[in-house]
Amino acid sequence: MLKAQISSANAKVSSPLSAALIERLLSAAMSRGGDFAEVYVERAITTAVMLDERKIKSAQTGMIQGVGVRVISGAKVGYAYSDDLDEPALLRAAQTAAMIAESSGAEKSFKVSREPTPLYYRVATPLSQVEVARKAELVRRADRAAHGFDPRVKQVTATYVDQTKHIWVANTAGRFAQDTQDLCRLGVQVVAVGKNGERRTGFYGGGGRVGFSHFDTFTPESVGREAARQAIATLGAVDAKAGTQTVVLAPGWSGILLHEAVGHGLEADFIRKKTSLFAGKLGQRVASDKVTVIDDGTVANSRGSINVDDEGNPGERKVLIERGVLKGYMFDSLSAKLMGQRSTGSGRRESFRHMPMPRMTNTYLAPGDDAPEDIVRAVKRGLYCAQFGGGQVDISNGNFVFEVSEAYEIENGRLGRPVKGATLIGVGPEALKNVSMVGSDPLPDPGLGTCGKDGQNVPVGVGLPTVRIDNMTVGGTKV
Amino acid sequence: MDYRELAKKLVHRARKKGARQAEAFLEVGRQSSCRVREGEIEDLTEATSKGVGLRVVSNQRVGFAYTSDFDPGSLNQFVDRALQLAEAAAPNKLNGLPSTQDLSNRSHAGELFDPEIAGLPSDWKIKASLEVERVGKAVDPRITTFESVGAGDYVSEVVVASSSGLVDAYSGTYAFLYAMPVASDGTQLQTSYWVDYKRFFKDLESPEHVGRQAAQRALRMLGAKKVKSQKVPVIFDPMIAASFVDSIASAADGDAVFKKSSFLAKHLNERIAGEQVTLVDDGLLPRALGTAPFDGEGVPTRRTAIIENGILRNFLYDSFTARKAKTRTTGNASRSYNALPRIGTNNLYLVPGTKAPEDLIGEVESGFYVTAMLGRGADIVTGQYSRGANGLWIEKGELSYPVQEVTVAGDLLQMLRQLDAVGNDLQFRGSTGAPTIRFAELTVAGD
Repeated sequence: MLKAQISSANAKVSSPLSAALIERLLSAAMSRGGDFAEVYVERAITTAVMLDERKIKSAQTGMIQGVGVRVISGAKVGYAYSDDLDEPALLRAAQTAAMIAESSGAEKSFKVSREPTPLYYRVATPLSQVEVARKAELVRRADRAAHGFDPRVKQVTATYVDQTKHIWVANTAGRFAQDTQDLCRLGVQVVAVGKNGERRTGFYGGGGRVGFSHFDTFTPESVGREAARQAIATLGAVDAKAGTQTVVLAPGWSGILLHEAVGHGLEADFIRKKTSLFAGKLGQRVASDKVTVIDDGTVANSRGSINVDDEGNPGERKVLIERGVLKGYMFDSLSAKLMGQRSTGSGRRESFRHMPMPRMTNTYLAPGDDAPEDIVRAVKRGLYCAQFGGGQVDISNGNFVFEVSEAYEIENGRLGRPVKGATLIGVGPEALKNVSMVGSDPLPDPGLGTCGKDGQNVPVGVGLPTVRIDNMTVGGTKV
Repeated sequence: MDYRELAKKLVHRARKKGARQAEAFLEVGRQSSCRVREGEIEDLTEATSKGVGLRVVSNQRVGFAYTSDFDPGSLNQFVDRALQLAEAAAPNKLNGLPSTQDLSNRSHAGELFDPEIAGLPSDWKIKASLEVERVGKAVDPRITTFESVGAGDYVSEVVVASSSGLVDAYSGTYAFLYAMPVASDGTQLQTSYWVDYKRFFKDLESPEHVGRQAAQRALRMLGAKKVKSQKVPVIFDPMIAASFVDSIASAADGDAVFKKSSFLAKHLNERIAGEQVTLVDDGLLPRALGTAPFDGEGVPTRRTAIIENGILRNFLYDSFTARKAKTRTTGNASRSYNALPRIGTNNLYLVPGTKAPEDLIGEVESGFYVTAMLGRGADIVTGQYSRGANGLWIEKGELSYPVQEVTVAGDLLQMLRQLDAVGNDLQFRGSTGAPTIRFAELTVAGD
């Protein structure tokens, strides 16, 4: 489920655990004869500033640190974590995770060595070291711009959140990777009040794995104005008509369509357990030939990018669907091992309190040949979807929804009245077979997305050019 | 470690460093869980965790910091950080901790801690999940696999201390069981789930029940198809009804109401639903998952009727919002250690009616019985409601065939007026509970 919410230069940050201690933990983790053990160390500092009713309501910061130890024995996994970094507590965690293996393996020692990691994001000053007063100024500027946009803007809530997270991952294969992952996001929510007390909301924001200077160009004023514009533009909207329609999706954040309609269903844990409707369909046509879907963890400074995943494997670019044909799945190391494949650098986790699993990074649709204006012009009657809320998918039956927060009627190739309360629903592969036009205007989302799976949230990116989908079911109140 | 002493010490240090008010909220937990797959353990997790959040008010400004590092040296720095952060916030004369009056009349929440759960042998969850899986599979050969089957238990302690002289704590337990089976007929895959969470082991549904319920719910969806767009009576099963009442309660959030960002804001003491609708938040409901003697800022919890026999009676408040709205906190500050309190529910439930769910269905000539939903769907500012829905079509008072890929939409105020029947089958799967409910007419969108 994806919802709109809420790195530094790889300078050597010293691990809270020495390499020698990590090696002793690996040895303890393998003491009952597991096949593989891994130690994941994390230290994350979060800062947030919230503005409400024209005032900075609070500024806050938090720090979590801890260690997760994972032991794999056949297909079984033992996991233990501790936020106590004393050696005895960590050894207890390692011995607990070791219990998953049942033999009385001999004492073995392991050596790990640092490996260079690629650099897809480089932040000169870690976000945690930027003064909180500057972060407060961002939300104040966004608030002023939103209020200044139109007198009908009545409520503005603005939030800035950042995190500087250091991870160290070492395993019994000898790998020892380190990464620093900075991430930030500015978000503005607006309520506008029109005639007869009608209320509409707007939301906009963005950020990424970027330095604070990102907001010199992605200005808080532009964010505040865009959130206000959405709320004002939808005042006076008519009820969405329920039923099947041709829809045109605006580029950018609409990429959540891919994330929900196909992305989750291509994660290897669902494939291995045969719970996804895409299991066993490799090489088959699952979308129209205009559809090429890529998951790419290597996009510079993007919210979903990873230099290494949370198992220490480098981030990768993977073609999932090429011209409508299913080409590949996303693997973490466990699914890869059990399915005789290799990891695609897709093993991610929310924190040391969680086991890694296959996850998306930045998922986008490759651009097509159609001029975006031609796409709208060719629709006689339909719905233009400009902005989106969140989405969700059931990966077994493939049913997905996504919420349209700003939409317009299309009449004879032109945009008409705004429409409220529309939700799109479909079955993943069917919807993708109905993709009949793909624009030449690819656009990444501004850095908004957080993906939830099995109770774990990770930052992701999405992207889509302008796209036309025929026969899409639009949920609404008007029959 | 004596966590009460630690919480007091943090408050004391913050005061010494210049905070006018300070409050420490500390949580410590021990959790253990497992998942199984095809008769074997899939994974086992065991852990302990802890954390503390410190809220300070200094010169009418709020600062907040949290940490999981209890090393004395780092804790001192952590207190300083909270105070520094307050300087970045705006002064507001309404900022502050709950008043002494708000904190008085301590509640008795009854037993929250089950020694049986605290003392469960570590293999109970393995045996229980294996049984869930075995029973679920045995229901029908079309149950081909499981997305997930598991069980676990949790023991926690919550401590709060503040500069008002408050020091209070409680310990609690819960255990859970769940299954997400997948049914296949060769052309379609359908999944469903069933879950139970309870504070007391004796209250937990049996593994057999969880396995069978989950399997039957997935099986009956095989062959699901779209229907035509139409306006019909719609019934929500208890699980879906619970998510509906959650949406209503979030519109009763005193902060959203104060900012006129809730569709309920203008309707206090007005009739918004029929006599049969009573929606209650009760932090003192015996043995319930959301029961606790105090809320996220130490205020005693209580029973608050949001809707009483169809009349909107109360909104929910924490102490800050109550001061803004010139009313009193209702003990609804909800939080974990790593966040400032915000308004939330304790145990929210729709009071059951007298009719059996079969009778609610039996009175419908043609309609939709909803058993699963996708998407968040409810906008509490505008009252718009639109979600993806799966379930069974009702024909002549009987559940007939499965339906998917449709949406159910309406306007929350109209939906409350349309809510024409409440079943007698109140269930809690977590801290929100509801019986089966029926709406006289909603829009189902399909072909």
